[in-house]
Amino acid sequence: MRASNRANAHIMLSTLLTAASLFLVPALAVFADEAWNVDYHFALLGAPKEETSFFHQPNPSSRASLIYTLSEQHALGAVNPRDGSLVWRQLLSSDGVAYRTSFLRAGEGQDVVISGIGHEVAAWSAADGRLVWTLSTDGPLEDVEILELSDGKETAGAKDAVALSSGANPTVQRIDGASGAVKWQFNIDGSDAPYQLSASSTQIFAILLHKTILGYVKLRVVVLDPVTGHKVDEYSLNSENELSTTENIVSVGANSASPMIAWTDSLYTTLKVNVVGTKSIQSFDIAAHDDSPIEHVKVHAPYHVNSLSHFLVHYQTAASHWADVFHINLKNGKVEKAYSLPKLAGRGAFSTSTSDANVYFTRVTRDEITTVSSASHGVLGRWSLNTFGVAAGIGEQVEPIHAASEVSVKGDTVSAIRTTILLSTGDWVMLRDGKGIWNRPEMLASTMVVTFALPADAATLVQQLEVEAHSNPVAAYIHRVQRHLSDLQRLPSIIVSLPQQIVKGFLGTSADDLTASDTFGFRQIIVCATRGGRLVALDAGSPDKIVWNVNVADLQPGQSREPFLASRIAGVVEVSSRAGAGIQYNATNGQPLAERLPVVPEGPQVPSSQVVLYTMHDGTLEASFNRTPAWAFTPMHGERIIDMVPRPVNDPVASIGKVLGDRRVLYKYLDSNIALLVTAQDSMGTANVYVLSTVSGAIIYSNVHTGVDLTIPIASIMSENWFAYSFTNEASDEASKGHQLVVGELFESLVPDDRGMMGATTNFSGMQTATEPFALTQTYQIPEVISKLAVTRTRQGITSRQLLAVLPDSNGIVGIPYGAVDPRRPVNRDPTKDEQAEGLVRYTAVLEFDPKWFLNHQREIVGVKNVFTSPALIESTSLVFAYGLDIFGTRLSPSFSFDILGKDFNKLQMLATVAALAVATFIVAPLVMRKQVDQRWRFL
Amino acid sequence: MLLLTPLVFATLTSIASAARLTVSIPSSPPLLPNPGSLAPSTHAILLGPPGTRYSAPLRRDNTFAFPDLEEASYLLTIQSRDYFFPPLRVDVTKAADGQTIAAWQTFRGNEWSNKGPQYGSAKGTLNIQVSPSSQKDFYQHRGGFDIMSFVKSPMILMGLVSVVFIFGMPYIMDNMDPEMKEEMAEMQKKGPLSGSNGAASQIQNFDMAGWLAGKGSGAESGGTVKKR
Repeated sequence: MRASNRANAHIMLSTLLTAASLFLVPALAVFADEAWNVDYHFALLGAPKEETSFFHQPNPSSRASLIYTLSEQHALGAVNPRDGSLVWRQLLSSDGVAYRTSFLRAGEGQDVVISGIGHEVAAWSAADGRLVWTLSTDGPLEDVEILELSDGKETAGAKDAVALSSGANPTVQRIDGASGAVKWQFNIDGSDAPYQLSASSTQIFAILLHKTILGYVKLRVVVLDPVTGHKVDEYSLNSENELSTTENIVSVGANSASPMIAWTDSLYTTLKVNVVGTKSIQSFDIAAHDDSPIEHVKVHAPYHVNSLSHFLVHYQTAASHWADVFHINLKNGKVEKAYSLPKLAGRGAFSTSTSDANVYFTRVTRDEITTVSSASHGVLGRWSLNTFGVAAGIGEQVEPIHAASEVSVKGDTVSAIRTTILLSTGDWVMLRDGKGIWNRPEMLASTMVVTFALPADAATLVQQLEVEAHSNPVAAYIHRVQRHLSDLQRLPSIIVSLPQQIVKGFLGTSADDLTASDTFGFRQIIVCATRGGRLVALDAGSPDKIVWNVNVADLQPGQSREPFLASRIAGVVEVSSRAGAGIQYNATNGQPLAERLPVVPEGPQVPSSQVVLYTMHDGTLEASFNRTPAWAFTPMHGERIIDMVPRPVNDPVASIGKVLGDRRVLYKYLDSNIALLVTAQDSMGTANVYVLSTVSGAIIYSNVHTGVDLTIPIASIMSENWFAYSFTNEASDEASKGHQLVVGELFESLVPDDRGMMGATTNFSGMQTATEPFALTQTYQIPEVISKLAVTRTRQGITSRQLLAVLPDSNGIVGIPYGAVDPRRPVNRDPTKDEQAEGLVRYTAVLEFDPKWFLNHQREIVGVKNVFTSPALIESTSLVFAYGLDIFGTRLSPSFSFDILGKDFNKLQMLATVAALAVATFIVAPLVMRKQVDQRWRFL
Repeated sequence: MLLLTPLVFATLTSIASAARLTVSIPSSPPLLPNPGSLAPSTHAILLGPPGTRYSAPLRRDNTFAFPDLEEASYLLTIQSRDYFFPPLRVDVTKAADGQTIAAWQTFRGNEWSNKGPQYGSAKGTLNIQVSPSSQKDFYQHRGGFDIMSFVKSPMILMGLVSVVFIFGMPYIMDNMDPEMKEEMAEMQKKGPLSGSNGAASQIQNFDMAGWLAGKGSGAESGGTVKKR
C-alpha cells in the first residue's frame, strides 16, 4: 500500500513536471477552430478611380463579369459583383510612391486587363491576376489605350496596346498584345507636352499641349497610321484664348467611332467640342440652372468602336446637377444636342453602358437610379433608393461620387441593372435594381492613425467605480447602494432573458458569447482617422459593420491632414490636427462632444513619452522637458535619424526581475524614460542603434552594423526592458547576406540577486546618477524583411509579451514568442537544467517563422503600415489591429488563455464527466460501505 | 510598378547589360501538382548589393522573369502564401563576351561562400526550375477527446490501481494459503498503522469529547497517544 502510494506520488510529480515544461515552451499558434472567427480582415483596394473602374468579362466565352479597378492607392484588383469579395489584387506601387496618373484598360472580348503606371505598362490575366507581360518605357506614361481596329487585318488574338510617354524623348509605342514586344515606336518632335492618346478604328491620334507665348494652351494633334506608325497628318486646334490650363480640358475620347475633344473656358460658360480628325470646333452655351457656379463638367462617352457616337455632358454645381446628351453625325462630323436630363438636387453620378451598338446612360442621385437610352430621353428604368445602407454622420447627406453600371435591356425596359457607386462616405457599394447588395469600406484603406476606446456604457461603469474608489467610505457606500438600486430597474428584463441565457450557456461556449455585456473587454471601439478627413469606428467584437462614420474635417483637395487620435477618458475619443481645433467624440455613436481642444503645433512630430516632448529640427532631435529644452541629439556628419521609438507610455511591468530556474532573480533595467534611436550613415552603409535615457539624453547602449542596405526598412521597437530591430545586410566575412533581427535586453546587473549600483537606493534619478545597464543582445537570421515591429500589451503586464512583425513580402504579420528570441538563449552549448526550467533553448542563428505564428494564417494582408495593440479587460488577452491598405484585427493570448475558457473547453465533456462520476459514486458507495463494515469485523 | 522596383539605378543600366534570369516553377507532385494553383500574390525577390532589389510577380506560365541584371551577387527568395521555397544565390559575372549567370542553393545563417547544389549556369540568359520545399501549415489542431489518452492519463491510472486494490486485495487474501495469511496478519499487527494500538485505529477511535474534557492525561481512555 505504502509503496504504491509513493509510486503514485512519483507519477504525479513527473506529470506535473511534464505539464510545467509544456507550458514553458509555448507552441503559440493560431488554432484551427479560432482561425476565421476570432480574427477579421477587410481586403481593401482603396478608393476606386472613375476612369479605371469598370465591369469586364474575364472569360470572353462566359457572360459573368467582374469589376476591375485601379484605385487611388495604386492597387489593381478584381471584385466579384455578387458578394463584393476580392478575386485577386496586385499592388502596383509598393514603396508608397504616389503617381500622378494611372490607367487601366480592357479590350472587348479580351482575357487580359492592361495597366499603366509610372514607367510600366503591364498586362494581367483578367481571371486570376497573373502577369502576362510587362514593358517599361523611358519616360513616364501619359496614356495607354487598347487598339480596337476594324480594318479586318487584326487577328482574333490579343489586341495591341498603344502607350504615350513623356520625358526627354516623348514617344508613342504600339505594344503587341500577346508578347508585350514593341511593334513600332514614333518619336514625337518638338517641345510640346504629350497629353493623351485617342484612337478611332482607323487612326491613332496623339494629342499634345502647346504653350503659346501668352500662356494659353493650344492643342496639337498628330495623326498616326496604326499599322506602320508613320505620321499621316498633323494640325493644331484653334483653342487659344479659352484654354488657360489643362484642367479645363473636359475629355479626350478614345476608342469610339468618332473620338472627340471637349473643353470649356475657365468660367464654364461655353462648351467647345471638336471631333478628332476634323478641324472644326463647335461651341455650346452652358446655361446656368441655379445661383451656384458650376464646379465641374464631365463627359461620359461609350468606350467601344462599334457603339453609337453619342455622349453625355454632366454639369455639377454645389447644389444640383444636370446633363445634356449630344449626338455626333459620323458623316459630316457635326455635333448636335439631342436632349437634356433635368436638374436634380445634390450630386449626381453618371455611367455609360453599352449593349451591342446601343448606349445607355445611368444616372445615380441621392434618392434614385434612372436609366435612359442615348437615343431618346424616355426613361427605361427607374429605381428609388431609400438609403445606400452605409453609416454616415447625423444629418449628413450621402452623395454618389461616381458610378459604373452593367445594364441588361429587354425590349424597351431595363430588365436588370447592377451599379457600383463610390459614395461621399468613402464606401463602395453595389446596388442591384436599386437594392444594396454589398458595400466595401474602402475609406479604411487610407487610415492614418487609430485608437482604441471603451464603449460609452462600459466607460460609465468604470467611471462610477472610480468615483467610489476616490470618495470617503460613507459616501462611497451610499453611491454604491444607489447604483445597485438603479441597476435593479434592469432586473425584469434580465429575468425574462434568463432561460434563454441558460440554454445558450449549456450549448454554446463561453468565449463566443459577445452579444451580452462585455466582461472581457473584447468589444472595444476602434476609431480610424482616414486621409479623406473622416473618422470611422469599428467594433472589435463584431467587426463586420461600421459603427459610425463621420466627417471631421472639410479638406480642400491637395491639403494634407495629420490627425492625432487619443482616448484619454474612457468612452471619449479626441481628434486633433494641425488643420483645425480638436474635437472630442462619443466613442459609441460618434456624436461630437462640446469640448474643444487646442490646435496641434506645427513641426514634424515624433512619438512622445509622457513627460518629454521630442521635435526634429534640421536632422537634430530635440527634447523638451516641461516645455523647456532639455537636451539635443545631433547625429554625426552624414548621419541621419531614421526612427525613434520611446518606451510606450502605458507599459505595465508585473515583475521587476526575471526569476531564474534556481529561484534566483536577475533584475531588469526598468526606466520609463528610455528610447531606441536608429540612425543611418548612407555614405558608409552603416546603421547605428542607440538606447537613450530621455531624461538626461545620455546614451546607455549603442551598436553599429556595417554593410546595411539602407533602402530597405529598418523596423524597431522598445518595450519593458528590451528592444528589437531588424535590418538587411550585405554578405561579408562575418555576416551572411540577408535579413537580421536583433533583440537586446537590459539588466541592472548580470549577477543574479544583485541590483548593482542601484542596490541600496530606493529612489533614483536619471539626472544625477549615471547608471548604465548591462545589455545582452542576440542576432537572428530571419527569412524576410520586417517593415514594422509591435508588441502585445496586456492590462497588468503579467502575461509574457509577443513580438509582432509585419512581413510585407509574405503579406502577413507574425507573432514571435519572446522565448524564441530571448537573448539569454545559451550559445554553443545545451541549456542547463535550470535554463531548461526557464524555457531557454539552445541558440540557433536562424530563426524560421513557423507558419503557425502567422496571425493572418491564410489571409493575405497587404500594405500594412502599422500595428496597434491594446489590452483587453482580462489579463491574458491583447487586442491587435493592423492598418495600412488592409484592415486586420485579432485577439492574442501570448501566455494562453489562462483566465477565460476558450474553445478548447468542452462543456459537454465536462457535464458527461460529472454525470459519470455521480453514477460511479452511487454504484461504488454501497460497495465501499460493505467493505468497511467487513474490515471492522475482520481486524478488530 | 514593382515589376522592376526602380529603387535606385534599376533603369539606368538597362540596355547595356543583358543578363536575364527566368525562374520557373515546375509541376512537382505530390507537393504541388499544379503550379497554376499558386496565388497571384506569389512573387520572387532578387536582393542584390545595397540599393538593388527586384521583385517579379508570378506570370501566367508559372515563371518569374528578371531582365537586365547587373553584375553582382544576389539572394533569390520566392514568397508564396502556401509554400516554402528554398533560398538561392544568383551570381552575375563579367565574361569575355557578355555576362555569365549562375544559381546555387544557399543556406540561411551560413557564410555566403557556402553554396549548395548548382541549379544552373549560362551565358546571357539562365532558366532555372525551383520546386517548393514544403507546404505551410498554419493551423494548430486541438487534441480532441481520445479514450486511449484518457485511460493512459496518470490520474485515471492511479484511480484504476486503487480500484484494483480495493476489489482485488480481499480476493487475494482469501486465496492465500493460511500460513501466508497468518504472516500477513502478524505483519499488520506489528505495523504502526494497524491493530488496536496502531496509529490508524488511534486516529479513527480518537475520543474528541474526552480529550477536550481533559480526560486523556494517562487515564484509562483509548485515545492516549503517549502510551509508548
